[in-house]
Formats: sequence, C-alpha cells, structure tokens
Amino acid sequence: MISIQNLSKTYNGTTVLNIDTIEIPKGQSFGLVGNNGAGKTTLFSLLLDLISPSTGVIKSNDITVSESEEWKPFTSAFIDESFLIGYLTAEEYFYFIGELRGCNKADVDALLAQFSDFFHDEILGQKKYLRDMSKGNQKKAGIVASFIGDPKVIILDEPFANLDPTTQIRLKKIIKELSENREVTVLVSSHDLLHVTEVCERIVVLNKGQVVKDLATSEATLKELEAFFAG
Amino acid sequence: MVKKFLSLQWRQFSRSAAFQQKLIAKIFIGLIALYFIGVFTLMGIGAFYGIKKVSPDMDPFISVNNVLVYWVLVDLVLRFFMQQLPVLDIKPLLILPIKKRISVNFLLAKGLFSFFNVLPLFFYVPFTIVLLINGYDVSGTLLWFVAMLLITCSTNFVNFLINKNNTYFALILGVLATFVLLAYFRVFDVSPYVGSFLYGIYTTYYYALIPLLLFGLFYYLNYKYLMANFYLDGAISKKVKEVQSTDLSFLNRFGAMAPFLKNDLKMIWRNKRPKQVVFFSLFFVGYGLFFFTNSVYEEQYWIKPFVGMFITGGFLMTFGQNVPSWDSEYYKLMMSQNIKYRTYLESKWLLMVVATAIAMLLSLPYIYFGKEILLIVLGAGLFNMGLNAFVVLLGGVFNKTPIKLNDKAKAFSNTQAFSATMLIIALPKMLLPIIIFYIPYVISGSVNIGVVSLGVAGLLGVIFRNQIFKFIEKMYQKEKYKTIAAYNTKN
Repeated sequence: MISIQNLSKTYNGTTVLNIDTIEIPKGQSFGLVGNNGAGKTTLFSLLLDLISPSTGVIKSNDITVSESEEWKPFTSAFIDESFLIGYLTAEEYFYFIGELRGCNKADVDALLAQFSDFFHDEILGQKKYLRDMSKGNQKKAGIVASFIGDPKVIILDEPFANLDPTTQIRLKKIIKELSENREVTVLVSSHDLLHVTEVCERIVVLNKGQVVKDLATSEATLKELEAFFAG
Repeated sequence: MVKKFLSLQWRQFSRSAAFQQKLIAKIFIGLIALYFIGVFTLMGIGAFYGIKKVSPDMDPFISVNNVLVYWVLVDLVLRFFMQQLPVLDIKPLLILPIKKRISVNFLLAKGLFSFFNVLPLFFYVPFTIVLLINGYDVSGTLLWFVAMLLITCSTNFVNFLINKNNTYFALILGVLATFVLLAYFRVFDVSPYVGSFLYGIYTTYYYALIPLLLFGLFYYLNYKYLMANFYLDGAISKKVKEVQSTDLSFLNRFGAMAPFLKNDLKMIWRNKRPKQVVFFSLFFVGYGLFFFTNSVYEEQYWIKPFVGMFITGGFLMTFGQNVPSWDSEYYKLMMSQNIKYRTYLESKWLLMVVATAIAMLLSLPYIYFGKEILLIVLGAGLFNMGLNAFVVLLGGVFNKTPIKLNDKAKAFSNTQAFSATMLIIALPKMLLPIIIFYIPYVISGSVNIGVVSLGVAGLLGVIFRNQIFKFIEKMYQKEKYKTIAAYNTKN
C-alpha cells in the first residue's frame, strides 16, 4: 500500500530523516516508535505531503504523494490540533469532514453512533466549540474524524497521548478492529511501548532519523523495545 | 519584583514577532507610527494659531476644550476595536510566588504604555507649550495638561471595562448614545458643558479633582474586577459561550464549494478577528463621502474609479487580502483532506463576489451625487468582481502570516501581513481601475465609455476565470510547503 524509497529530509544541512526503504502492505497495522526528534512526525508529514522530501519518493497505492493529489480521497490523518477547526462544534466538524469526503449527514451520524462509547458523552451535543474543549476531548474528536469517509490509509500521530486510561483502552480496541478486516492500513506513532505492541503487528523504531529496528510483533517485542530504549 | 516584570516586558517587546519581521515591514510600520506622531505634533503646535487665525476674537484654548469631548468619544470607539488588552500575558505568573496585588497593578500599569495612550501626548505636550509661550497662566495650564492625561488614562481603563464586561459595555454605550442622540436632535448638547468644565480646570484649580477622581474610580473598578477574576476560569481565560448551531444548508446549491462557504461564514461570525475585519469593510462603503462632497475632486476624473474601487471593494481589501491566512490555524488539515485547491480558491472568490455585490447595492444612494458618480462606482464594482478579486487571490500566494482568529488585532501590528511582495501586488488593484477608466475616458471624452471599459474588463475576468484559476492554483501549489511551514510557527 505504501512504499518508501531512499527518503530523506534535510534542514539546513542537518539530516532529520533518512530511510532506505519501507514497504507497508495493505491492511497492516504499522507502529512507529522513537524518542523525541527521531523523525516520527517528519515521516508522517512527508506521507501527507505537508513537507517536501529532500530525496526519494513515497508512493501510496502507487501514487507519488508529492506529485499528485490523488492519494487524498483514500487517506486521512490526525497529526495535531491544527487538524481541528476551532470555531466549529464537534458535530459541525464531523459533518464538514463528511462533506469533503462525500458522506452525507446520515452516513456521518451512523459512523458516529459506533463511537458513542469512545466519546463517553463528552463530544456530541456539547454546545461548545472545539477550541473550548479539553485537549483530550479535542483529540477524541480529531481521531474519530479521521475515520470518516471510509479511508484506506489512516495516519495517527501520538493518538494515545492526552487520553484518559478508559479512552486509551477503547482506542486500542478500535484500532485493532480497524485492521482486522485487512482493508485499512493504520499507521500509529507513540511514546508508549506497551500500547504500540498491543495494537500493531509491525513496529519500526526510528532513531535520529534512521530505521534501527523493524519487528514483527510477538511476545518478546515489548522486552526487546524496552531493552533498546533503556540502553 | 517590578524590575523582573519590567525585564520580562522588555523581552516580550524586543522578541515579539513584530520586531522580527522583514526590514521593509518594520520600516512601513515605523512610517505609519511616525505619520500619526507627526500629525498629532503638528496639530498640537498648529491648533492654537490656526484657530486664532480663523476666528481672532475667540480664545483658541476654549475652542479646543469645546471639541475635546468628541475626541474622547472617537478615541474610545477606536480603542474598543483596536486596542489589545494586556490580559493573557499574565497567565504564567499565576502559580509563581508573586502577590496578586502586584500582578494586577502591574498589569493595569502596563496597559498604560499602549500606543493609544502615548499618541495623545504628542498633541498635548506641544499644545501646552504653545499655551505657555502665549502667556497663559503656568500652574493652570500645567494642571489642565495633567487633567488631560488623567482623562486619557481613564478612557484607557473604561475601554478595559467595556471590553471585558457586558454590563459596563451596555451602561456606557447607553449613556453615550443618549448624549449623542440628544445632541443630534438638538434637545440638549453636552459638549459646551464639558468644554466649559475642561476650561474650568484652568481657571478654577480644584476642578482638576474630578478627572483625578474619575481616573481613580476606573482604576479601582478594573482592579476590583481583575482581582475577583484572577483565575484561569475567570476573565483571564476566554469565556465559553453556549453555542447555537446554525443551519446554512441553503448554501448547498453551490455544490462542491458549499462546505467551504458554510465554513467561511461560520469563521467570520464566530471569531473576533474576521468579525472586526468585516465590520471595518462596511466603513469602506462610506469612503466616497469624503471625496464626492469635496469640490476639489469634482473635475479630477481619474480619482473617481479609484474611490469607486474602495467603496465596493471593502471586503476585498480587508478579508480577501488575508486569504489564505484565515485558514492558517488548520491549514494542515486543508492540505491533507480530500480538497481540491481549485474549489477552495473558487469558494473564496465567490465570497468576494457576493460581498462586492452587496457593497454595490449599498452604494446605490450615491446617486445623490449624480448618475455619473453612481455609474463609475458600479463600474468599479464590476471590475472588483471580475479582476481585482483574482489579483487579491494571487497576492494570497505570498501571504505567509498566520492569523490567530480569536484575537483582536493589535493596533499597529495589524500590518503583519505587509511585505514587499504584498505591496507590489496591492498596487495593480488600485492602479488598474484608474488606467482602464481614464485612458478610454480621455480618448473618447465620455464618462460612459470609461465605465463600460471598466465593466468589460471585469466581465473578461469572469469569462476567462477557468484559465485564471488554473494559473493561480499552480502558484498556490508551488508555495504550498513554505506556506504550511510558515503557518506552523507560532508567534
């Protein structure tokens, strides 16, 4: 589904990302871990063509993301608060995203109904603008918005940060279900090793912009990751 | 402690975004500031002699006092819309071991060093000096000067109050409106009373106690208000109002553009900055009153389409100028969502066209100045729709200044979006209507031909909009990464 070749990003002579190759097959749940400055957000921004690569290409479903916009209809993401429109209520925001992705109100409502547990009555019907919601609730809204419109690639940067424990557990369940049908490719980054190992079938460790580990998740993965980061 | 505060303030000032702009923007802002300073100083020096020359038997000092009440009014209105309140900056100090009393006093004192409070000094100081030179009583004049400063500061604090508290806002608005209406209908005019009171400070010293008391009162009210609200959920953090969802589904007929149009309307309505800007754009409609009432311009035909461009182009100049910065807070979303740049730009264009059409409707009363004037205004309107809207969109390609939607613009940092390229791009939209009107007009000697050529130019823009949009879209695509990066930096 996603193919990364010779990708690098250099700012003023400092290389912040340098990846020879990563192939992500369709339907894989892909986890990205690494310390601050490892290049996780840079990689995701490159995937979404928010920054331009210094060298190399990213192909999503055979579309070179930096050359064509055709990847947009099947890709969605939540990277940070700048993916939210602060002056809308959560419903208005969901409907807006729905309209962009060709879903009418009924479609969106049907999708939102599945997430009533996840929302925990704190998102819908609040009569509040998104900008006035807590960080955690903003994040919930942003994550669910990225599920609207049947995307084939979902990119979530640090989805577990700022969420309360109950919501974290529910989110893990949601991500697992998403990748179960092998239709949706989910890319998740996190600082929490436990969460990633639970959710992702493959984990790539970035360190200073380089891929240092590429693991198929197993019982031993968590220990291996902990050993790596402790070292 | 105060020393620490001051050093914090200095850093905030010297490291502020305004200071780290490009040189050209600094020069521009500096020039505007200098212009106002110059005008005020000249007024301060010239007012006395000017009035004396016009009406030699009046005491100029009394005349000035009589109109000062209007100045205070205008000052208050300007402040209400432009002056940034020094509130949010104090947030990091909440949990530090600093007495609330000190923080609040500092906050209030800090507010006094606003451009709005410094500017009047450039009038009052020279004016007072001129009075002294002309042999006015020294202690009386100085007392009057101090009283004026106190009144300026009181206005400053009144503005704080009405900005933060709806009760005070309604109260003060009510009082002012009553006086203005009474004066307008000639029932009772308060200004001579205020004038003779202000003059009274000069003759009867203890009158000065009243401005002092007013200053004390407004300072105290602010102090009390801030002390009571010195919590994160108080006045310092923004109020959370209950939201009314608005149904704008009637816009769905615009197809792919509909979501953006609906969003833009909500954006304008629900955020302070765009609301302020659109409000200002209404004033542009009245711009012609300055020109068409003045006989100097009656024969200056070249200036008329220029004025017409302003009358109908208020929204274009204020809102359009800042596209795409209005969406800067969520630009990454817009760039990664299933959005065609083309549709996004078209929706902005449509918005400008509709706003221009509304301005054209509002400008119909210009028929009062003759059919000719109205025709020129309407012709300029068509030109705005068809060509200037595109020029404005094109200018947006180079617009890299993020806008914080829910912050009011600071006076004089409002020019953030200025850069050399912006200035260059702003020129054609002012000059083009003049050229396109004036050349055919001079050749044919007929105003109608000039108007027709304005209209035709606009129409051509509409006809060839596909090609134009294609070009603009390409430009936007080229600058995309730079724009995203620029909007990502917080200032």
